[in-house]
Amino acid sequence: MRASLAKKGAKRFLKSVREGKEILYTNTGPRDTGQSDFKNRFTLHDMARLVPLYNETGYFSVEVHGGARFHQDLLNNKINPFEEAETWAGRMPNALTQTLIRSTNVWGYRMYPRNVVRLAVRAFLPTIDVWRCFDFLNYVPNMAPIAEEVLAGGKIFEPAISFTESPECTDAYYLRVIREIATMCGGTGGIILCIKDMAGVGSPARIRRLVDGILQKHPGLIVQYHRHATDGLAIPAMAEAAAAGAKLFDVTDDAFSRFYGHVPVRPLTRYLRELGFPVRLDMARAGEASDAVRSFIRNYEKFESQYKGFSHDVTEHRMPGGAFPSSFEQAEKGGFLELMPDILKGMAFGNRIIKYFDVTPGSQITWTTWAGIVQRFHKEGGTLNVRKLFHVLERYFHSGERLEGLSQADENILIRLYAGATDDLKNLLLGRYGPLPFGWPKDWVYRSAFGEGWEERVKSERIESSPLARLAEDNLEKSRKSMEDELGRPPTDEEFFLYLMHPKAAVDFLKFRKDYGDTTVLPTSVWFRGLRRPGDLVSIPLSGKPHEIRLVSIGEGVGGVKHVVLSVDNIMHVFPVELPEAALARKAVRKADYAVKGDIGAPVTGTIWRIGTKDRLLKAGDRVKRGEEVMNIEVMKTENAVKSPIAGVIKEICVKVNEGVEEGQLLAVIAPDGE
Amino acid sequence: MTRQGPFKKIFIANRGEIACRAIRPCRELGIRAVVGYSDCDELSLHVKLSDEAVRLGPSPASMSYLDIEAVLRAAKDSGCDAIFPGYGFLAENPDFAEAVEREGMVFIGPSARVMRILGDKVEARKALSASGVPVTPGLTDVEDAEQVIRFGDRVGWPVIIKATAGGGGKGMQKVASPYEVEEKLEAARSVAEKAFGKGTVYVEKFIEGGRHIEFQFLADRYGRVIHLGERECSIQRHHQKLVEEAPSSLLAPEVRKRMGDIVVRAMKNIGYETAGTLEFLVDRAGKFYALEVNTRIQVEHTVTEMISGFDIIRKMYKIAAGERLSLAQEDVSLRGHAIQCRINAEDPKNAFAPSFGRVSFLRQISGPFVRTESGIYQGWQVPPFYDSLLAKICAVGKDRKTAIERMRRALREYEIWGVKTTIPLLRRIMDHPDFIKGEIHTGFIEENIAGLTEYVDAEEEIFKIARFVAEVSAFGRNIHGA
Repeated sequence: MRASLAKKGAKRFLKSVREGKEILYTNTGPRDTGQSDFKNRFTLHDMARLVPLYNETGYFSVEVHGGARFHQDLLNNKINPFEEAETWAGRMPNALTQTLIRSTNVWGYRMYPRNVVRLAVRAFLPTIDVWRCFDFLNYVPNMAPIAEEVLAGGKIFEPAISFTESPECTDAYYLRVIREIATMCGGTGGIILCIKDMAGVGSPARIRRLVDGILQKHPGLIVQYHRHATDGLAIPAMAEAAAAGAKLFDVTDDAFSRFYGHVPVRPLTRYLRELGFPVRLDMARAGEASDAVRSFIRNYEKFESQYKGFSHDVTEHRMPGGAFPSSFEQAEKGGFLELMPDILKGMAFGNRIIKYFDVTPGSQITWTTWAGIVQRFHKEGGTLNVRKLFHVLERYFHSGERLEGLSQADENILIRLYAGATDDLKNLLLGRYGPLPFGWPKDWVYRSAFGEGWEERVKSERIESSPLARLAEDNLEKSRKSMEDELGRPPTDEEFFLYLMHPKAAVDFLKFRKDYGDTTVLPTSVWFRGLRRPGDLVSIPLSGKPHEIRLVSIGEGVGGVKHVVLSVDNIMHVFPVELPEAALARKAVRKADYAVKGDIGAPVTGTIWRIGTKDRLLKAGDRVKRGEEVMNIEVMKTENAVKSPIAGVIKEICVKVNEGVEEGQLLAVIAPDGE
Repeated sequence: MTRQGPFKKIFIANRGEIACRAIRPCRELGIRAVVGYSDCDELSLHVKLSDEAVRLGPSPASMSYLDIEAVLRAAKDSGCDAIFPGYGFLAENPDFAEAVEREGMVFIGPSARVMRILGDKVEARKALSASGVPVTPGLTDVEDAEQVIRFGDRVGWPVIIKATAGGGGKGMQKVASPYEVEEKLEAARSVAEKAFGKGTVYVEKFIEGGRHIEFQFLADRYGRVIHLGERECSIQRHHQKLVEEAPSSLLAPEVRKRMGDIVVRAMKNIGYETAGTLEFLVDRAGKFYALEVNTRIQVEHTVTEMISGFDIIRKMYKIAAGERLSLAQEDVSLRGHAIQCRINAEDPKNAFAPSFGRVSFLRQISGPFVRTESGIYQGWQVPPFYDSLLAKICAVGKDRKTAIERMRRALREYEIWGVKTTIPLLRRIMDHPDFIKGEIHTGFIEENIAGLTEYVDAEEEIFKIARFVAEVSAFGRNIHGA
């Protein structure tokens, strides 16, 4: 497949897809299913088992990359996204690799300027074949830089229309968006169009009508239906889409399928075949993959959603599958899990007041906004107060969304609704993500969010064009320099790209790699829990050679340190593992910050034997010249002069004579002259 | 004390690799080997290898290995008939040599008289000069900075300040200009005081780009002196040798002969007994100046052994026991080329700062034509009290190129984890084009330090992963966010 795409180019490759009779699948297991039901924690070790099976199953593509996984990989999984993409691309020649890329947010959580967006696409063009791209406002200009790069790069561009059910989301509306897409992409012959039903809300009849409408207008357009299973109606909706002419469907392995992710592949295949559609799928291989998943999926149980089960009310609150478990997790951590039903209810009102699509970053805005509102109202007056708010909102909609239809008391409550608006919400209201798809919300929303002076802000700040047009390009040289400073060495191009997406997570990841190596070779149970009992062992291949780590013993944890004895390739090693509380205490040793001009750090580990010189003992308050010896450290009988890097007055001497000091420890602070 | 007949029991008043090295000929000759140890050396390798071991005292050297009383008592109480001092510690202390003889034991080294002359660098310069050995221009009675400045102005800058006692480069201060004299002079005196108990220093002209060549000789008490050729020790850091080889690629046979003759004549003249080394600095023009005589076994004696076939320490035992040197100069035929690398516990990336800790993993070298002299074993804790030399490895081949290839191979095999070592630096030296061409001098490391330390401190990947496994296992969960 990959070879054929490379040989034919996207347009000719898609022509053969279009002319083929079969229904084709994208397996979303590694990415979207992993995100929706397992918080993106799948290890590369487990995924690697699926690679050869997916390769043989007949999938059109496998979504292996993008969305929140990119960040999660750096933050928690300690996987290098480049290596991960390489693993899939290099060992799965019979299926295409696919990513999910957000328009302006790419794979991160801020708006990236055009130069970074272009860099992002170029960075992964070699390993990613299908680029599904969406914008939470369906604002097509936001997708333009990605479209250009992918199309020019010979890979498949798959623009998505964010789908939901609401009175505004008519066929005519979607056709308008698709027309813009077609214009941007120079027609529909070289793309796949995705209907992104990220919450799983489209009724079977609605989906059939939409696909039909699209294909009437654009015959021959390859339509892919992306659909989460949350409302419980996914399989029939897919069958209807197929009947209307959709060609591609998102599926997952049976054993991956939960409630917020995607439909199980084998039941869907059986149903579609029963209805008479030819489907390209090797059922036996799909079964093997499912068995493989079953063998490791229990490792991820603790990452599954706090609430399990289908949730038909998703059609009201529209929380996307990918946001479900993380929202529940945040609610649990924040101690307001019991408020979730009310928060979801609030979201159902919210999406009628400010209209956009609940998918990143919109879903995050909706979630933080409503988690905040409901908590605030709950704090002020308990459940009754929250209920009161909902009654006011009901009356507001009942009266035709007119404030005049409300009592003064109700109006006062409504005006306070967005009082705690986050910057993200304010930015959204000011058009900084792009114009809202169905117009700006009513004035009272601005009054609520911005308070006094709201009119002035709307007038002077609200904009109607793509943020990409205004966002200043990142100064890459400067960013690279600051990464080098944080990392302590110059980064490679790939490392630098990780930094552009997620600066802190990237540096932390690279430091982790330096200390612990490439941990993706570890089996998942060892990755999450380590070795449990003496004698437990793990075999690891490194550069093609076998290695073995065996647990000998775990100490009691005396003095803040647990001594773990491992036999590494038959040789015993003792690893002192500092307990978290001891680590905190140790950090109390002050380290010199070399970026601070007056900080003097110990150049070596040793013993302070003199402060000052033979002729001049020094104390705080004394003046020192630049290059003057401030103290001297003895190490193995050698003297090591510590000199002041600057001229100034000694503000503080942090050590005593005969004190043992460690390298980097803060020895003295000099207040520079003239400050 | 004069004595005839082999020793029964030798006390080895040293530690580390040289103590281990010195035990070996004892074994071969059927002599029992007794070692002394300080508290932190209780579990060190020399204690393990010896036949008997006696505690000398607390860990600081001044209270153990440098404590003459303690060493004498240990040797005497264990019934030794001779003491071998190795290098460092008491090896060049004539008072100690005298005390050993006074106690009725044999000091395996030159007489106290000879040591007094040669051990004081100022005296040594005079004695050598008188025996026809050229020496560098020097200033011997250093009183104040002004004097040094005048000297420097006369012979040309830079000059180098050295301690009159001691060696091993400790306290040496290169002074590039008159402006630095005051500070460097004070530093050199302070170190000399601390390390050798004697704060006197002298000043010599610094030979820039000089090469460090030294001649190994053997002398018996019957006036026979032979030399075993030269060694080249130009690869140094902080005036301490790091790579040594024999022969030098610099010396033409006739120069070698001329220098050798000078050495033999001078030592005969001085009345030297046992093994020793005369060090020369050879400048760019090929002129050579004597630096000093080392009246002891040297760290790098191994390379001479590898090309001469003689065990120098074994010879020292025999000479001290009163045996005649059976060899004449024409019996010495040097064959091939040998290189030695010193493995120190220090971090070349951090100005060679000492590094201590536990040797968590050790893979020794083996294979054809390589040799290790080591004082370490896996699990051993490198103590912070002494010299940082952990081990030496030697490679020998028919020519320099072959020796370098074998050394490269050995360094690739050698692995020490837990402390930072000079191994990665040495690997890069063996690959350096100038080193390969033999274009080396004492400033080689300093000049090339950036490139030579451009290695990644590679900890083996499996060890890193094991550290991770240890952490996760200790907590029972992954605390890195997962």
